[in-house]
Amino acid sequence: METSLNSYQSLKKWKEEKILTYRSNVSDLNEFHDMIMKSVVRIAQERIKTARPSSWKFAWFTMGSSGRRELGFLSDQDHGLVFEPGAAEAEAYFLELGKEISKGLQAVGYPYCQGNVMSSNPLWCKSLSQWKEQIHSWMNEESLQTMRNLHIFYDSRVLAGEEKYIAELKSIIYGNFKKTPHLLTRMVETSMHLKKSVGPFGQLLAEEKGRHQGELDLKYSAFIPYVNAVRILALKEGIQDTSTIARLNKIMKISGYEGIWKYQKNFAVLLKWRLRSYRESDTYEDTHYIQPKTLTISERNELKDILKDAKKLHLLVIKSIKKGAG
Amino acid sequence: MDATYLMNSLWVMLGAILVIFMLGGFIMLEAGSTRMKNAGHIAGKTIFTFGLSSLMFWAMGFGFIFGDNANIMVGLSNFFYSGAELEGMGLSSSVFYVFQLAFAGIAITIALGGFAERAKLSVYLIFTVLFSAIVYPVVAHWIWGGGWLAEHGKQDFAGSTVVHLTGAMAALAATILLKPRIGKFNKDGSANNIYGHNQVYTALGVLILWVGWFGFNAGSTLSVEDGFFGFVALNTNLAAGAGAVSALIISWVVMGKSDVPTMLNGALAGLVAITASCAFVDTWAAVVIGFVAGILVFYSVRFFEKRKIDDPIFALSVHGAAGVWGTLSTGFFATPELASVGKPGLFYGGGFEQLGVQFMGVAVSGLYAFAASFIILAAAKNVLGGLRVTEEEEIMGLDLSEHGSYGYPEVFMAEENKKLSS
Repeated sequence: METSLNSYQSLKKWKEEKILTYRSNVSDLNEFHDMIMKSVVRIAQERIKTARPSSWKFAWFTMGSSGRRELGFLSDQDHGLVFEPGAAEAEAYFLELGKEISKGLQAVGYPYCQGNVMSSNPLWCKSLSQWKEQIHSWMNEESLQTMRNLHIFYDSRVLAGEEKYIAELKSIIYGNFKKTPHLLTRMVETSMHLKKSVGPFGQLLAEEKGRHQGELDLKYSAFIPYVNAVRILALKEGIQDTSTIARLNKIMKISGYEGIWKYQKNFAVLLKWRLRSYRESDTYEDTHYIQPKTLTISERNELKDILKDAKKLHLLVIKSIKKGAG
Repeated sequence: MDATYLMNSLWVMLGAILVIFMLGGFIMLEAGSTRMKNAGHIAGKTIFTFGLSSLMFWAMGFGFIFGDNANIMVGLSNFFYSGAELEGMGLSSSVFYVFQLAFAGIAITIALGGFAERAKLSVYLIFTVLFSAIVYPVVAHWIWGGGWLAEHGKQDFAGSTVVHLTGAMAALAATILLKPRIGKFNKDGSANNIYGHNQVYTALGVLILWVGWFGFNAGSTLSVEDGFFGFVALNTNLAAGAGAVSALIISWVVMGKSDVPTMLNGALAGLVAITASCAFVDTWAAVVIGFVAGILVFYSVRFFEKRKIDDPIFALSVHGAAGVWGTLSTGFFATPELASVGKPGLFYGGGFEQLGVQFMGVAVSGLYAFAASFIILAAAKNVLGGLRVTEEEEIMGLDLSEHGSYGYPEVFMAEENKKLSS
C-alpha cells in the first residue's frame, strides 16, 4: 500500500479518502496522521538532491495537538528538528530538509503554522547542543514568549529518527525545573487564560456574534485550559508522555493526585465530541465549536461540569505548584 | 425689569447652550460607534441637519407647537418667529424659543441615528425638513403646547416622549425601510459585530451628553424659582449613574463579560428615562428608574438584533425603549408633592389613572411618530429611487461617496496623495 504513495499528491488523495473512517476513535485517527506525516518525511528526504551521510543523525518531532496525539480531522503544522552536532553543511542540509517537509505537509493538507513553529524555521531546527543552549536561554529569559516556547516544546514527540534526543532535552528541562521551582510558577502564569463559558447563574455562554453565534468555543474554554494545566503537572512530575490522557494516567498514580481521574474522563469526552461534531465543510477553527442545541440535556449538564472543572483544574495546578515551590 | 425675569432668561439660555452642545456628544457617540470610512459624513451631517432644522423650526416648528388658534394637531401662529414677546412667560420669549429649538434639533439628530452608514445624503435632507415640520411639532404640541394630551395631565417634564421616543420611532421607521447594513447579518441568520472605530469617542460622547442633560432636564424648569432646578439635576445624575451600573452588571451576568458599549448605553438609557420624571419623583425613585432603564436597554438591543433590525448606534433601545419606560415611570413614582402636572402615581395612592394617561400618551405619540415617519420615508423611497447608497458606495464609505473626502484621509488615501498632504 505505502509503496504506491511516492508523491505528496497521491498521499493527499489517499488521506482524504480514508480519514473519515476514523471518526469514532481518536487514537486510531492519530496513528493515521502519524503515518501520513512519516511518509511526508520519507518523501522529503528522497526529494532533496544532496544525500545525507549516514553519520548525520537527527530526530524530526511534532508538537501541538499532533505531538499530544490529539489531532482532529484538521490541523495546521507544528514541528521541529534536532540533529547531531556536526559540520556547517549538516546545518544547511537539515534546514533544507525542514523546508521540504513543511512544503510537503502543506501539499498533503496540513496548512503552514501561523506562528512559524516549523522545522523550516531556524528557531525550531537546531543541533542537539544548540537546542540545549536555546532551552537554557528560554528558561533564563522567563518572558511570556520563551515560556510559551517551553510549553510548546514539552509536547514534542519524535516521528522520525532518534527518540533519545528529545528524551535528553526533556530531562534537562525537568532537571532545571527541579532546581528552580519558580520556573513552574512562570509556566503557570503564562498559560492560565481561560475563556469564560459558564455564567454566574450556571448558564452556558455561547458566542454572541458571528458565524458561530449560539455555539460554544471549546478550544479556549476547555481544550487549551485542560491541556496546559495537565502539561504543567507533567513538567512538575517529570512525565515525558505527551498525550493529555497518558499524562493524567501517570499523574493519577502519584500520591496526592487521586482526585484527578475526573479530569481524564472529562478530557476523553471532549475529544469524542469534537470528532462527532465535525462536518466536512468545517475549517480548522470550526472544529472547536459545539452547538449546545445538538446535545441532550444530560450531555449539556455534563458539558457544564466539564467547563466548570477547567477552572477547578487550574486552581488545583496552582495549589500544587505553590506547595512544591514552598 | 425684574430680576427673576432676567435670571430665568439667563438660566434657560445656559440650558439652551448645554442642549445644543449635546450635538457634540451625538457626533462623538455616533462616529465612535461606526466605521472610520463614514466618520466625516456622520460628523458633518449632524451639523448640517441641525442648521436645516433650525430654519424649519423658525419657519414652522415653533408656530405649530406653541402657536394660537390650535386645531387637534397643531397651533397656527408665530410662523417665521419675529422674537416678539409672548404672553404669560416668566422669561425672555426669544430665550424660550432658542431653548425649544435646541430640543427639536436633538429629536431630529436621534431620528437620523437610525440612518447611519447607509442612507443617501438627500434622504437626510428631505427627512430633516419633513420631520421638523410635521412629525416633531405635532407630538410637542400635544404634550407641551397645550394640546389634548396636556389637557389630560400627561407628565413629560423634559421630553422622554416628545424628544426621545419621537426621534426613536422615526429611527425605527428608517431602519425598517433601509434594511441592515451590508455584512450585519449572515445567511444563516446569525449577526456579526460591526465594531465602532473608536470606543473612546463613544465614551466621551456619552459624557458630553450626560453634562448636556443638565441643560435638558434642569433647564426645563424654565425658571430659577426656589432653586428647584437643583433637585431636577440631582435626580438626573442619579438615574444616569444607576443606568451605567445596572447595564454593566446585566452584561456581566448574562454574557460573562462587562461590555463597555452596553454600559454606555445604560448611562444614556438612565438619562432618557429620567427625562420625563426628573421633576416628579423622589431621589430613590430616580435610582430605580435609572437602574431599570440600564437593564431594559441591554435586553432591548438583543431584542432588535434577533428581529434582524440593524440599529448601528442603538437609537431604538436607548431613546425608544428607555423613553417608553421613562414616560410610564411617572405613572408609578410621581409623588403628590411633586406632581405639578397630572396626578400622583400608582405607588403614591394615585391608582392607575396617571399610569393610564402616560400609557395613552406613549402609545398615541409613538404610533403617530412612527406612522408619519414611515409614510415620509416610503414616499421618499419612491421619489428618490431608493433610500440607500449603492452597495459599492456603502463599501467604499459615505465619506467618499457622498462628500468626496475622508474624515480620516491618511488612512484611506493613495500613497502619493498622502505624501502631498502630510
